[in-house]
Amino acid sequence: MRLIETIGKWLDARLQIGETIRETAEHSVPRDTASWFYVFGSAALVVFMLQIATGIMLALIYVPSAGQAWNSLQILNHSITLGWFIRGLHGWGSDFMVAIVLIHMVQVFLFGAYKYPRELTWMVGVLLLLVTLGMAFTGQVLRFDQDAYWGLGIGVSIASHVPLMGSWIVSLMLGGPIIAGATLTRFFALHVFVIPGLLIGFVAVHLLMVIKLGINEWPMPGRIVRKATYVKEYHELTKKDGIPFVPAAVWKDMFFSGAILLAVAACAIYFGPFGPSGQPDPTIIQTAPRPDFFFLWLYAVLSFLPPSMETPAMLIGPVVVIGGLLLLPFIFGEGEKSWKRRPIAVLTILLVAVALGTLTHLATYTPWSPVMDAWSSLPIPAEYLHNRSALERQGALVFQVKQCHNCHSLDHEGGKRGPALDAVALQLTDDQLIRQVIQGGGNMPAYGKNLSPAETTALVSFLKTLHPEGRPPARDAALAHAAGSVAPATHP
Amino acid sequence: MSLLRQVALGVAGLVVLGLSGCANPPGKPGPGPEVVNPDSIADFAVLYKANCAGCHGFDGKGGAAIALGDPVYLAVADDAVLRRVATEGVPGTSMPAFAKSKGGMLTEKQVEIIAHGIREKWAKPDVLRGADPPPYAATTAGNSSRGADVYTIFCASCHGIAGKGGKASSIVNGSFLALMSDQELRTIVIVGRPELGAPDWRGNVPGKSMSAQDVSDVVAWLASQRAQFPGEPYPQTDKSTGGTR
Ligand code: HEC
Ligand code: HEC
Ligand code: HEC
Repeated sequence: MRLIETIGKWLDARLQIGETIRETAEHSVPRDTASWFYVFGSAALVVFMLQIATGIMLALIYVPSAGQAWNSLQILNHSITLGWFIRGLHGWGSDFMVAIVLIHMVQVFLFGAYKYPRELTWMVGVLLLLVTLGMAFTGQVLRFDQDAYWGLGIGVSIASHVPLMGSWIVSLMLGGPIIAGATLTRFFALHVFVIPGLLIGFVAVHLLMVIKLGINEWPMPGRIVRKATYVKEYHELTKKDGIPFVPAAVWKDMFFSGAILLAVAACAIYFGPFGPSGQPDPTIIQTAPRPDFFFLWLYAVLSFLPPSMETPAMLIGPVVVIGGLLLLPFIFGEGEKSWKRRPIAVLTILLVAVALGTLTHLATYTPWSPVMDAWSSLPIPAEYLHNRSALERQGALVFQVKQCHNCHSLDHEGGKRGPALDAVALQLTDDQLIRQVIQGGGNMPAYGKNLSPAETTALVSFLKTLHPEGRPPARDAALAHAAGSVAPATHP
Repeated sequence: MSLLRQVALGVAGLVVLGLSGCANPPGKPGPGPEVVNPDSIADFAVLYKANCAGCHGFDGKGGAAIALGDPVYLAVADDAVLRRVATEGVPGTSMPAFAKSKGGMLTEKQVEIIAHGIREKWAKPDVLRGADPPPYAATTAGNSSRGADVYTIFCASCHGIAGKGGKASSIVNGSFLALMSDQELRTIVIVGRPELGAPDWRGNVPGKSMSAQDVSDVVAWLASQRAQFPGEPYPQTDKSTGGTR
């Protein structure tokens, strides 16, 4: 004990920072900020440290080469004691970190903490969110399995929409026109050097400002922020009703961070590490790859957008969102802080949450994947084959072999991308059915030359059987009349 | 003191729980890669379900295509047939080629596993004991005009005059015939589609089996009904009324 004290004194005599640290730790913060709402920022920091520690351990084993990355993960999972656990911690840590950063941001937004004088803190925070997402994204690519391929595929397709520079950016990202060995080394460099460097730098600036400007006081309805008076008011508040950050306020942060670390460990133990899913062999097409959780919503947006909208949406969307976040404190830099007096802010959060939640949910349907094998494993429901003619059975087979089942469900089974076809005959006449399969339309591919007339005829005769019993299929009124008055159409 | 004891107990309990979890934590990856390389799947049930069940039915019957699990079918068709058809598919029909060498996704070995598995699972060696089924492949050329008579004797009671449909549906529709190979027609005449109520070669007329020549002839007749431009023009299409969509 003595020894430690002596060493400490010796060091401090030369470094001269002990006083600063003590002052910082004990600086006075408004009493009501010692709240469970104010723990997310520090928790994000703690999880970040966990990521650094586990990341270094993983980097000792991981081989960033296209040929060996997947195998080195297998070694971590199976041959190295607790290697799987470290992978689990790092993977779940990443998800937790993104989640906590988002929650932190929502809290800061709702509590008006971005307002004067903390505009820059907020802006750096926005950058921190972006680099955190960057870490999550590049980390997923390092797994270099099927999911990584697909996750990257989406990222690249976004980048490739940038006018003029699109292909240049793609080759910068991938180290060539396609995902290959050079891609992996690039993402490795990004994930372990570039982005963490940025992250540490931003965190330092962010923390410095938090300390210098003080923790945002608890927003009281009616206490208005004005540039002229705010700083003075804040100092009065901390003087009158302040408590030292350490130890009065910090224990809640520590408790919460500890709980989060335990939760990460629990997830690692109970759910295990992520993947690696199938080997990243582009010739293996029987997988349903899916990007990591936080990018799922993007996946759904991309599959829903009509092709003509994709480019503008991908280019303008991010600019609007990021620009909006950065400009927020300048537009609403003063005024009411309490969320009780800011209904639009609350509504915005709800709206965004519902939208992201819905999209994420939608993306969890498998049929979005590029190559799908549901068709071959999912039979036509038995009752749809009951009492059918030989031609209609052939139509059912065409339905299977042309993969219609991937996008269309029958009796609730099958793809959800197109409408369910259980009662399609009620809505569409033969003519319209033929047009739909030959010419496609909406998000449905045009089958045109891929269907022979015989296949089309069989297919349509099968589709005509898809209507609830007792309700006749749709008929073209003009045609029905003609058929009735001239000659009965030869029934197959 | 009692508070301290409670805390100590709680901590001890957590430690025990943690240790018991560590012995075999559920998140620990099982042996081997998580997702098997599709090429190394060697389980018949998995392969059959993923590749064949969609058309031939989960239990080898009940799909839109012929029931591969029908013991009569398996007694007539040998392994070579199963293997060849699964490998190459049947061009012009909805039966795709599955072997990698033919653009499919299965290895030769997997095709073999499927062919072997179908027989092992569904074949009944004795179903045709004492019966003398016509051979799977035609040995003699069929005569279509004799076939028309054979049709009238054996098939017309269900499929109607000239095959245009009666109790059972039309089997001379141009599009239908275009999507069925001659061999498939022959297979169906021999083994029927028991799950649909279509009789095999013995059951068309009570007490009267079809001879091998009868089968070849009726298939030749069906083949002669094929249309030159099957499916054209599309049935009931009328250009003037099509602009609604
Ligand atoms: C890639 C997914 C996809 C595939 C594959 C696909 N469809 Fe579609 N289908 C759609 C979508 C999306 C729509 C809705 C189009 C629209 O909005 O007009 C649709 C619409 C339809 C409709 C009109 C339904 C209605 O209620 O208006 C029919 C009929 C149809 N598809 C039949 C087929 C058939 C038959 C096949 C196979 C040959 C097929 N589809 C394959 C996506 C698909
Ligand atoms: C997309 C639908 C489809 C799938 C999937 C499919 N089949 Fe077929 N199969 C057919 C059709 C249609 C025929 C009849 C072809 C013809 O007219 O000759 C057929 C015929 C066959 C035959 C020949 C029957 C005879 O006449 O002797 C065999 C054997 C066969 N299939 C095996 C398989 C196996 C094994 C698989 C899975 C690896 C499979 N099929 C998957 C549609 C399918
Ligand atoms: C006892 C009645 C009966 C007789 C006799 C009969 N069939 Fe059928 N056949 C059926 C039924 C039932 C079906 C299936 C339902 C349908 O297509 O209407 C069928 C279906 C078929 C099919 C279509 C199979 C498929 O996979 O879609 C062909 C081809 C066929 N029969 C040919 C023949 C020929 C050729 C004969 C004479 C040698 C014959 N049938 C005699 C009842 C019969």
